[in-house]
Amino acid sequence: MRLNKTLKIIKENTQLKVGCMMLVILFLAALLAPVIAPHNPNILSDDMVVAPNMKYWLGTDGLGRDILSMILYGARTSLVVGFTAAMIAGIIGTLLGGFAGYFGGRIDGVIGEMINIFMMMPTFFLILIVVALFGSGLFNVMVVIGLTTWVGNAKLMRAQAMSLRQRTFIKSAESIGESRMAILFKHIIPNGIFPIIANTTMGVAGAILTESSLAFLGLGDPNVISWGQIIQNGKSYLVDGWWMCVFAGLAIIFTVITFYLIGDGLNRVLSPKLRNLGKEVRG
Amino acid sequence: MSRYLGRRILTGILCIFVALCINFVIIHAAPGNPIRLLVGKDNPNPQMIAELTEKYGLDQPKIVQFGKYVGNLLKGDMGVSIYTNEPVSDMIIDRLAPTAMLALTAAVLAAIIGTALGIFCARRVGTKLDAIMGSVSYLFDSTPSFWLGLMLILIFASTLHVLPTSGMIDMRADNEGFAKVLDIMKHMILPVSALTLTLIPYYFRIARSSIIQVMGEDFITTLRATGMPEKRIFRKYIFRNAILPTITVFGIQMAYLVTGSAIVEIVFSWPGMGSFVMTAITRRDYPLLMGIYLVLSVSVAVMMIVVDVLYSALDPRISHESK
Amino acid sequence: MALLSIRDLSVTYHSGTRHVKALNSLNLDINEGESLGIVGESGSGKTTLIMAILRLLPKGSVEISGEAFLNGKELISLKQEELLKMRWEEMALVFQKSMNALSPVHKIGVLMSDIYRIHKPEVSKRDARRRIEELLELVNLPSRVYDLYPHELSGGMMQRVSIALSLMFNPKLLILDEATTALDVVTQTQILEEIVALEKKLGITRMMITHDMSVVASTCKNVAVLYAGCLLETGLTQDVLVEPLHPYTQGLIKSFPVFDNDTHQPLQSIGGSLPDLSSPPPGCIFEPRCIKACDMCRESMPRLKEYGQGRFAACHLAGGEINV
Repeated sequence: MRLNKTLKIIKENTQLKVGCMMLVILFLAALLAPVIAPHNPNILSDDMVVAPNMKYWLGTDGLGRDILSMILYGARTSLVVGFTAAMIAGIIGTLLGGFAGYFGGRIDGVIGEMINIFMMMPTFFLILIVVALFGSGLFNVMVVIGLTTWVGNAKLMRAQAMSLRQRTFIKSAESIGESRMAILFKHIIPNGIFPIIANTTMGVAGAILTESSLAFLGLGDPNVISWGQIIQNGKSYLVDGWWMCVFAGLAIIFTVITFYLIGDGLNRVLSPKLRNLGKEVRG
Repeated sequence: MSRYLGRRILTGILCIFVALCINFVIIHAAPGNPIRLLVGKDNPNPQMIAELTEKYGLDQPKIVQFGKYVGNLLKGDMGVSIYTNEPVSDMIIDRLAPTAMLALTAAVLAAIIGTALGIFCARRVGTKLDAIMGSVSYLFDSTPSFWLGLMLILIFASTLHVLPTSGMIDMRADNEGFAKVLDIMKHMILPVSALTLTLIPYYFRIARSSIIQVMGEDFITTLRATGMPEKRIFRKYIFRNAILPTITVFGIQMAYLVTGSAIVEIVFSWPGMGSFVMTAITRRDYPLLMGIYLVLSVSVAVMMIVVDVLYSALDPRISHESK
Repeated sequence: MALLSIRDLSVTYHSGTRHVKALNSLNLDINEGESLGIVGESGSGKTTLIMAILRLLPKGSVEISGEAFLNGKELISLKQEELLKMRWEEMALVFQKSMNALSPVHKIGVLMSDIYRIHKPEVSKRDARRRIEELLELVNLPSRVYDLYPHELSGGMMQRVSIALSLMFNPKLLILDEATTALDVVTQTQILEEIVALEKKLGITRMMITHDMSVVASTCKNVAVLYAGCLLETGLTQDVLVEPLHPYTQGLIKSFPVFDNDTHQPLQSIGGSLPDLSSPPPGCIFEPRCIKACDMCRESMPRLKEYGQGRFAACHLAGGEINV
């Protein structure tokens, strides 16, 4: 029943529909990479800098690795980094925003100022320095991206909590004597989480872009295959081996658009719904 | 000056202070001895270690060290590059202008083009053209700036051979005066395009939605009812009200702008802060890296405050709140 | 002679496959120097009516038919340039939400003199300022309001600014759209009294849109009752209030406390809600909510019939007998 309803919502919103279809393709590519990849992406063959042909659909790189296979495996890296980093940012943002918005007062003052400060910071350079100093393992990259990109979520959750705490059901929960912590986790966060979910989806796209930029700058995890890294390696072959950069870049664009579409679709689905709910309450 | 601005400036100062703290913490929390880190892992030089230990007072408590660190910074001393032994501050100053030139040109161009396109679409809401423009804005929003840069090089420089791909001036030609300016502008075309194209979607979307919103406001109906011609209503009232969110975005974009600019600089070997960061990283020149991060933080904070001043001059409601 | 005559005015909103008839061949006259109150609940088509007369409805999705003559000129088919000239000089409007009636980033005086100089481009900025300050004084505002921004004024003051703005060219027809609804009762009474005094002084004809019967009772000579885009009853205010002919008018009057002082009748509300205007009932538009409805009411919409001088009602049962 619930599943049917969800499917119906997805079908009715073009952005969600297209985005979800693209997401399925991405997941399949990542999951089935070992099965569908025509070559082992780590094996260096003698066919170096080979243009796309029947054997190597998307060509090979300077070390003779198959680009298509590398892109398929690279999807794993992008998705893992994107989801983990966005989740970290989502959780931190929800907690900080929820605390600030619901408790208000001095807590709000401090967290609000933190939000303002982080809004002003060139976080990418912070990520760059941390990764450069502490090592560029995938774990470091994910955690640092997550730790520095929670601001948008916190702002949204803070606004949500501030408006929710005025609502009758929160006031009645307070008057029954539920503890404020319980109210925050049982009522405020569950009821205000939807815009954060949409924003976190967009955050996946942002994290994937950041990861690929790091990898392009040579600060990606050298032990995994990532799209940014393919482009970094392909940069030197731009003229003689355009396929290396072009296809890896298209993969990044495809993935980022997927999450933008889903995030935007979620926002559109949620906002008219919220408006209708408001009408029901008033009428 | 209003209390609003006072608050923003305070936030800016706090932001710089937090950047300082993060810097300090990172140096001291990074794996290994900070001096080792500062000197570079590959060439431990006992004399240098002794000098630096004294300079940063590493035998003293952390809080004293922090005080010293901040004190040195306030004096404009950001340390000495491990690689070149030059003062970091001198090295950075040379690099600031090219970055500012690139980033601000792109930001202003993107704001103008994006806003113009946004207005264009806002007046055609619901048409096919509007829908197409919306999709294209998605596409550019999802394109990494470094990849776009590479594609521009591939198309215009490597294939069509029409534009220079790297650097800021043609080293072979010894241009002077106007010819030099022209040469720099020619070198700017590709990097500025790459950066501008990725920035446009933000301005496009914000202008489109805020124009649509303002067109639906009650005061627009009032103005129509007074017999004011549509053109005048648009130019004098709709635009004036709808431009405010664009200015806000211009401020918020500053941090992103510096990032985007840095990456594009690296692609085009533009002699600015961005490529400098990479040099610092590959040489493991930590004092230089720290210095760059600090200078960028300060620049972003200052730019954002400038935008805030502009905003509060254009929106009377801001200064009113503080009265 | 009527200053404003509305003839068979219909407005239909199209959205996709839905066609909402917001105004249904309305006929209405206002004589020069008189005042007309138009009452009806929200959604009855009051605002659509003014927007249609002022030609402020969005183009494309709205269909307007019928005629509206102001001072002999037909407004619905008037050319754009003539319309621009007529607006504000001959008909001015005070809006419902006065707080949002002016641009928030322009000073009140700057905006007002800009409007003034559209119609009188030959006037110098200084003379325009003098005129605006006069207008502000007229509505009991200090002249320093000229240099203030809308957010710096209270609701009542903004309402006065809106009125001052509407009086700029001594318009023949002044339309007030729920102009005092958002204000507190004391300010509302004060402003209404001022308006009535001003229109006598300036010879203005007033059309007032409201859902508040008491406002009409105290300030309007004539009243017209609008329901779901149809005119149900019109006449002198005192006649209509004392002896309402239409069951809807009767219901409206019973639902307002002021008129029940003597009789001590309990307040009554009208059950139900406005019909869906994209598929209206086949008979009388009010039939689904009417407590007196009979078979005939379910079959045909009654036409507006005259009951005495200037007194009209559209009800099969009006006047005690069944009208065919």
